Amino acid sequence: MDIKHVLVVGAGTMGQGIAQWFLTQKVRVELIDHQYEKANEAKEKIFSNFDLLKSKGKLTQEEITIFKDLLHVTTQEQLSKETDLAIEAIFEDLNVKKDLFHKLDKILPEKTIFASNTSSFPITELGASLRASRRKHFLGLHFFNPATLMKLVEIIQGQDTSADIAIKLKEWFKEKGKTPCLCADAPGFIVNRIARNFYGESLRIAQHYDQERFREIDQIVREVGGFKMGPFELMDLIGIDVNLNVTQSVYEAFFHEPRFKPHRLQKEMVTANKLGKKTKQGFYQYE
Amino acid sequence: MNNDGLNTEKILAIIEPHHPRFLQINEHFKTKSKEDALGSYKTYDLILDFSILKTKEKHLFLKELNKTTKAPIISDLSLAWPDFILKKHPQVVGGLSLVFFSPTSKVEYFAKTPSVQSEIQSFLKMLNLEGIHNHHCHLSFHYPRIISMIINEAYFALEEKLANPEDIDQAMKFGVNYPLGPIEWGQKIGLQNVLDLLQELSQITEDPRYRPSTFLKLNADKSNLK
Repeated sequence: MDIKHVLVVGAGTMGQGIAQWFLTQKVRVELIDHQYEKANEAKEKIFSNFDLLKSKGKLTQEEITIFKDLLHVTTQEQLSKETDLAIEAIFEDLNVKKDLFHKLDKILPEKTIFASNTSSFPITELGASLRASRRKHFLGLHFFNPATLMKLVEIIQGQDTSADIAIKLKEWFKEKGKTPCLCADAPGFIVNRIARNFYGESLRIAQHYDQERFREIDQIVREVGGFKMGPFELMDLIGIDVNLNVTQSVYEAFFHEPRFKPHRLQKEMVTANKLGKKTKQGFYQYE
Repeated sequence: MNNDGLNTEKILAIIEPHHPRFLQINEHFKTKSKEDALGSYKTYDLILDFSILKTKEKHLFLKELNKTTKAPIISDLSLAWPDFILKKHPQVVGGLSLVFFSPTSKVEYFAKTPSVQSEIQSFLKMLNLEGIHNHHCHLSFHYPRIISMIINEAYFALEEKLANPEDIDQAMKFGVNYPLGPIEWGQKIGLQNVLDLLQELSQITEDPRYRPSTFLKLNADKSNLK
């Protein structure tokens, strides 16, 4: 499989990171956003990142010239017909995503692989109303933030996804230095599902707001378990609300499987707007 | 007397040969099996109980041991309910979780007094381990409980054919920086230990969240199909 031309839809944090990563693989990238200005701002940010990396000696001038030349901000109406892979990284709204894919389905050639960077929605459902030939080329590509640094890409096969395409894509990402992992289309995919009780069980151990307990649990998890961060400090970093949303989403999607049940303490924190570092108060306090 | 201040002559270590640290502990202490320890009437200053038992079996064993010796006991409570054991057995002055493999060679423990804390730290140092004190160890030690739930979820994922074991391990290491993938982690701890703890938590709390994966049961050492 050869990927020479990628379309990234959505110029937010993830879209920008994904676009930047593909550029460093010398892949031509078209970047679009429903707000054209936002796509241009993302382009400037990417260019600025390249300049910074060059100043640190991590990239040469020759490399950043190539990378910058490969990035094109454009509109849906002007998309290239040479697109090998179209990745959606827009905000998490099922109907908006489905609508986007419908539109792209009419514009882009049949060979184009369609991918969603969603972390919330079933891949099969996202592609369900597309024509059969497209559904074989439809899958999930779940990058991790920041996409430029985090090696993992979850490759999610929907019910109709061609296994051959998924495997070839996995090989392609592996050649490019990512750690791609194939998984079936299930809530949370691999990481968000298996990680749930890193937080959930810790909340149950703590039971109520008690910073001394949080500190002890974090210390034990870090020092005995070898984790880089404990669950409470990590929830504060990610955002307690963000973490709760993922938990609730997985819990609902698994039809209230008890293992994924959210905890009252987390809900209380969110209700009290104690969301972590971003509100300077979460399980811990911040300056 | 060894350099760390523990008078190993007056300490009895109760341990079975299949314990992963049997050879190491045997080097430093007088050891007896559970059965032999119950028959021993020698006066010891301290008992190190490394028997790997769930709550009920641990309780019965300690009850029998109490008939043999009144020495304070530091017990491995990896699979037992600490609050229950401490309530029923005042003789137990400390507990530790030696069974659950730690990637950092650290061991979670609790101690009733600073002197017991010091004894535990000295003992662990002899095994090239470091202790991390847990002051709130009620239902179970924290690390075994959390890691068992993560490993269990990985086995549910395998059971449902979500992904292959290698991809599950890689995803957790490269997606969220776990030091080990959950599948390989379970192998290092021993799946039977993971299963035993989950079943114990399930029995004590009657919370269905601790239901073990069937695939975990199938792959545990003793194929427990309870």
